[in-house]
Amino acid sequence: MTSITSISVISKLIATPAADVSQVAQLPGMHWASFIMWMPLISLALCGICSAFKVKTKAPAIITIICLATSFILTLLLWQGYQDPEIIHVFDWLKIDWEDGSFIANFAFYVDSLTLLWMLFVTGLGTLIAVYASEYMEHDVGKGYTRFFAGVSVFLFAMTCLVMGDNLLMLYLGWEGVGFASYWLIGYFYQRPSAVAAAKKAFIVNRIGDVGLALAIYLIWSTFGTVQYDEITSALGSGYKPTFDGWTVQAIPYLLMLAAFGKSAQLPLYVWLPDAMEGPTPVSALIHAATMVTAGVYLIIRTYPLFMLEGSHALEVVAWVGGLTAFFAATMAMAQYDIKRIMAYSTVSQLGYMFLGLGVITSYGAAYHVFTHAFFKAVLFLTCGAIMHGFAGQLDLRKLSGLRKMKGWKIVSYTMLIGCLCLAGFPFTSGYFSKDVILAEAFVTHGTGFVFLGWLAIFTAGLTAYYTFRVWFRVCAGPVHFEPGDELHGKEPANFHPHAPRIAINFVLVAIALGALLAALPYFIPNETEGIQGGWVAEMIDDSPAKKGVPGVDLDSSHGDILGMDPHKAMYYISAIVGFVGIGIAFFIHLLSRSTADKLRCKLLSNRTTRWLPTAMENKWYVDEIYIALIRSPLWILGKIFSLFDRYFIDGALVNGIAFIPSLVARWFSPLYNGAVQSYAISMIGGAILIALLMLFMPEIVEFLQTLSPPIGSDQSIAVVGGAQ
Amino acid sequence: MSLWYLILLPLAGAAAVFVGKSTLSKWIALGVSTIVFAISGVMAFQFAPVWGTPNTGLVSHTPWLNQMGITLGLGVDSVAMMLVLLTTLLTPLCVWGSFSAIKSRVKEYYAWLLILETAMIGVFAAQDIILFYVSFELTLVPMFFLIAIYGGKNRAHASIKFFIYTFTGSLFTLAGLIYVAWKFKESCSPDTWSFSILDLVTFASASDGLSPTEQGWILLALLAGFAVKIPVFPVHTWLPLAHTEAPTAGSVILAGVLLKLGTFGVYRFVLPMVPEAVVVYAPAIAVLAIIGILYAALICWVQDDVKKLVAYSSVSHLGFCVLGLIALNPIGLEGAVLYMINHGLSTGALFFLIGMMYERYHTRDMNTIGGLAKKMPVWSFFMVFFVLASVGLPGLNGFVSEFMCLLGTFVSSPDNEVWPGVLGPEYAAISAIGMVLAAMYLLIMVGKIVFGKLKEPDNHLAHASLPSDLSKREIGILVPLALLCLWIGVQPSVLTGAMQGSVEDVLSRYPEIVQLEQPTTIPQMEIKEDQHD
Repeated sequence: MTSITSISVISKLIATPAADVSQVAQLPGMHWASFIMWMPLISLALCGICSAFKVKTKAPAIITIICLATSFILTLLLWQGYQDPEIIHVFDWLKIDWEDGSFIANFAFYVDSLTLLWMLFVTGLGTLIAVYASEYMEHDVGKGYTRFFAGVSVFLFAMTCLVMGDNLLMLYLGWEGVGFASYWLIGYFYQRPSAVAAAKKAFIVNRIGDVGLALAIYLIWSTFGTVQYDEITSALGSGYKPTFDGWTVQAIPYLLMLAAFGKSAQLPLYVWLPDAMEGPTPVSALIHAATMVTAGVYLIIRTYPLFMLEGSHALEVVAWVGGLTAFFAATMAMAQYDIKRIMAYSTVSQLGYMFLGLGVITSYGAAYHVFTHAFFKAVLFLTCGAIMHGFAGQLDLRKLSGLRKMKGWKIVSYTMLIGCLCLAGFPFTSGYFSKDVILAEAFVTHGTGFVFLGWLAIFTAGLTAYYTFRVWFRVCAGPVHFEPGDELHGKEPANFHPHAPRIAINFVLVAIALGALLAALPYFIPNETEGIQGGWVAEMIDDSPAKKGVPGVDLDSSHGDILGMDPHKAMYYISAIVGFVGIGIAFFIHLLSRSTADKLRCKLLSNRTTRWLPTAMENKWYVDEIYIALIRSPLWILGKIFSLFDRYFIDGALVNGIAFIPSLVARWFSPLYNGAVQSYAISMIGGAILIALLMLFMPEIVEFLQTLSPPIGSDQSIAVVGGAQ
Repeated sequence: MSLWYLILLPLAGAAAVFVGKSTLSKWIALGVSTIVFAISGVMAFQFAPVWGTPNTGLVSHTPWLNQMGITLGLGVDSVAMMLVLLTTLLTPLCVWGSFSAIKSRVKEYYAWLLILETAMIGVFAAQDIILFYVSFELTLVPMFFLIAIYGGKNRAHASIKFFIYTFTGSLFTLAGLIYVAWKFKESCSPDTWSFSILDLVTFASASDGLSPTEQGWILLALLAGFAVKIPVFPVHTWLPLAHTEAPTAGSVILAGVLLKLGTFGVYRFVLPMVPEAVVVYAPAIAVLAIIGILYAALICWVQDDVKKLVAYSSVSHLGFCVLGLIALNPIGLEGAVLYMINHGLSTGALFFLIGMMYERYHTRDMNTIGGLAKKMPVWSFFMVFFVLASVGLPGLNGFVSEFMCLLGTFVSSPDNEVWPGVLGPEYAAISAIGMVLAAMYLLIMVGKIVFGKLKEPDNHLAHASLPSDLSKREIGILVPLALLCLWIGVQPSVLTGAMQGSVEDVLSRYPEIVQLEQPTTIPQMEIKEDQHD
């Protein structure tokens, strides 16, 4: 009966939307800013036309680039003119009114600085990566080229809805939309079974999270009577005290977490992301590194107040999941040979850092890390893509070496170096500053095991530095040596010459690498708002719900310390040292003496007690296998059993049995099946007679029925209903 | 303009088809059904003042057997009007879709299709129970022949099972309805019978109409027919069989409209007539619906036959619809009605697509066919599109109705003061697993037949008359369905607004009844809260 108790709160709310006054300015009609969303859709439509006319040029790429660039410029303009949060209403979407309540989810945008922060890098990187893809995908001009850019347009449309939507249903639209775009683009090489399987897996695993989001929306609506952000926030701010006791409100953050962990590839739902590398590399860079996978972080920042309710342990769970994911994913990245997969695991790991940041209540740190990560991970993926493109699909770091000494590969090598430095947290790079905020805050904020998580994250930072530079020292440094991959298009491996990237790819690499370096600047840009630590990014998320009136939580958490020092200062040194150690180990065993790493691996493998470590790491801790054994196979077997049960028991034994026993009935019906129209006429007449008989003998039938025991009485009825609760 | 046009015109068309030359019959059928669609479109505008209100429009009463009180009453409320439009839209598409598939006994085929249209419109438009019942049963006959003559290998068995199963069920429905009529005669008008749905509903739902015991029996009798039709677990086994054996158009009509006769029956009779019994039985029905959702979804997963897969997916999907129906609040019921329409569009289209594939390859086995994206890109585009609509991707139609049904179920708790119900969050949470399973089996299907390496059976050149990808005719069938799916996905409020009045009218007595039925919960709750403090 507990459920009833708590739902009781709910009922009133449906009648009265929680927020009486909405202070947010509502802009009517077609605002120019809505074109940020329309441009990708226009691009999709034009790509569709290209596809219909079987265009065999690069037109789709040009269209997409222009449209996305327009979106980016509009976002810049919106940011420039931004003053206060505003709502841009586009059209009514799902709007159900009834006498005493309503469910309203309009197609509308909620523009605040958090939205703008996300939109800036989504549209900016989207445009640049589209430019990159115009060259990267050129083998497919006339074949899948249009399909690819249509997919990119769908993605940006959905991402825009996700980030800019003014209510949770818009977010859900974008949420599933980006999942679909991801399905589309991972499965781009649709004739390759592994790509199809990966696409399917991504969609289905994400669906699990989506169900969490849907249930969270139901709960939020039944608690607050609205799904609009501003109304939810003001309802919370205005002391919506009575509802805080029930399980309903407390359950919301856990459901939202499920959604966020699915989309952002956290334990235990991360398994789809490494497989998603089956997609073309620009897709991996855009969707599976820079933008889509950060949607989970966005969701939690957006709904932060719900995570900070009094007595809630939601944030501690977020911190633990984030911290553990960061660590485990880093160990998996250490043992992979495919450089793109290493980057994938590294993305999972870095996303873990962001959730750790959210958990230790530094939404600013999390957002800043999202921002810097978007640039440096994009550049890392794009360089991997350039290598893959140039070496006929080769991604094995054992078969590539000394790229920086090869003609035409300098830009790739050094932009990759920049990316690696940022990822490794090398001092004074952007990744260094953003990671430090999170690490330090783990020691500042009080929470169960936060200090342990802090040390774990520091250790993971060392692992990160190691595996990052393992890639760079192997691939870009050392003696020149390469073997082509298997996408030779009929050429002999002996005649293979790598083709270096041309202007579009190089330009984009330089631009994003510069972005990755410059992303350190926001840390220093002083902000105008008083009382906020951190730079420009902190200011950007300042008027987001993350910092707004949350009852019961004191945001000025008391300062802890680390080894007797102020954590923020100490972390500068600690993480620098850890980073140098990691890079140093990579330098010794992957550049100076490359055989050491293999020897170490053999040594571990030959020893009985340590054998499990490299095996488990190389096999990704067997998580996929566990899923198959515990969930997929049992369900499949259940499906098989049900299928047989349906056929032989329900249909065979019950239905046919019942039909067979009174074979008289069957014989009575049998003239029906001879296909003669007359017998149908007879049966219709029979029906009419039946009606007449029923009408005549109804009193007798009723009398007979009344002699049987009544199926329901007043006592039983309550028992039935009560029991079902 | 009267609804009689919609009912009699297809019948006249059927006669014309039967009399005319067999080479012309498909054109006659297409012409007639298109005209019927056009007329129904015009009617939708005539109907304008009724949209959004609880009223019944386009009413006409033709006296028939006056001494028995039987009139031929026609009229539609906004929900019925939508379903009539769905029927008149799907019929010409089905006729058009059969052009290349039906080669023998052509005349009969199109005649039966048109008669089927008459019967279906009759069910939705009937204002008295005799006409309703006659139409309801009349749908069985054309469908029986469509399966028995034009179906697959196992067609005899499938058609017989379809006929007997649904016929037997609906006999109970008839008995229940006539009992209400008799009771009405007994207590209100001793001399004459009345079979008008309006009279009977008003009588039965009044607080002094039927006793709770009677309501329970009538609910069971009505559901005996409707549950088989929907179909609800465990009386669903006729459906996969009938679907697998039926010709394409038969499957489309079956999934698109005939299954909705069951849910429409629940909407029209069960909900307004026996509210007290519904309140008592709703949790049990919901449990069956949820079992159906999960059970059928898992069965879908292990199917090899594409058509059987989609057939079982109907069982699973309609479970959501049933949940919405018995959530007893407007959001759930509007979701359920929308679900009827959406399922008709997207699953209907899926059956069309499977038919188009079958016409080219003569197989539906996912192990022998695969990777068609390479060979049939346009077909693949539509396949993926409708699968996504079926999966419930936001922006397309399936999402809206699924979301509303589950939301309705979720908030349907006894303590909800505005629209109390007897379900609750746990029902919604468990059935939401069906969303994941739906994505699973449908995407696995797409992964096999659309994507992957091209795999074709050897005898696929049998139909040289068809192009390897879709013809203009076939695209013409799919485009309207796709546009509707998109439109409903983007502008669902147009439909929900239009049905709002009718839906609230059906539910108007429930809040009071649920509260009466739940006298014990409220004190209990207070005690609990005291303990907390």
